[in-house]
Amino acid sequence: MTDLPIVGFVALSAGLLAIGVFGILTRRNFILLLIAIEISMNAAILNFVYFGAYLGGTPGLTGQSIAVVLVGFAATEVAVGLGIVLALNRVKGTINVEKATELRL
Amino acid sequence: MILEEFAFLVLAAVAVVTAISSLLVRELVHTILWIAVFFVDLSAIYFLLEAPFLGVLQLGVYAGAVTVLLLFGIMVTRKRIFSREAATGIGAVPFALAVVTFIFLVASVGEFPQGSTGIHAYDPSFLSENLFNVNGPWLLLLGLIMLSAVGGAIYLVREGRD
Repeated sequence: MTDLPIVGFVALSAGLLAIGVFGILTRRNFILLLIAIEISMNAAILNFVYFGAYLGGTPGLTGQSIAVVLVGFAATEVAVGLGIVLALNRVKGTINVEKATELRL
Repeated sequence: MILEEFAFLVLAAVAVVTAISSLLVRELVHTILWIAVFFVDLSAIYFLLEAPFLGVLQLGVYAGAVTVLLLFGIMVTRKRIFSREAATGIGAVPFALAVVTFIFLVASVGEFPQGSTGIHAYDPSFLSENLFNVNGPWLLLLGLIMLSAVGGAIYLVREGRD
């Protein structure tokens, strides 16, 4: 059995989520936006893995199972995001999200 | 300080530095390189947490597939892949919001029991049993969502669509 501090893991995942939020709010390139979302999702997955290992037993295994499913969701999101990148590049000639304004009110 | 704690501190520092670097460098290819290091680093943290299956999954899906997909996205949307992004600046409001998010989440640590906690090791066979029996419906839902995502992605990039 390994001993690791709970404060360190919560601080790390909070820091990664904050970095992801910062990236989502500041970057205008669609690929950088996708990367910022991936960093945020990894912060959530890290929490699931850590608290799964922390609880132990069946709840711990459930935490790791949810983390496996979340990794699949994240990969799916990147695939659809890149589809949007390609479509945006073909229609607008750029992947700057500020140019995609048709759906704005 | 025990060896595991020291390893965690080093890996956590590398994770934060690579995540920040991936969002702040101006060449997109360098962004992909930094994010690949970030994914490998998180995989090492999963191994440290006695979750080898998730560590391998992180290496295969994130460090492998997602990184290559992002690189592919850059290659097909730019004439010169090493061209630089225009600097968008940091921005006071997003930075403040990120700091507030961080402080708010770290403040929640007080709700948990303090000190070091034991990390329980798992046999991957128990994990697979839990994944395919108890959490089987979630796995099926993931499959359905992936299938619909494939359809959606093909619809988005198909020829003759304006």
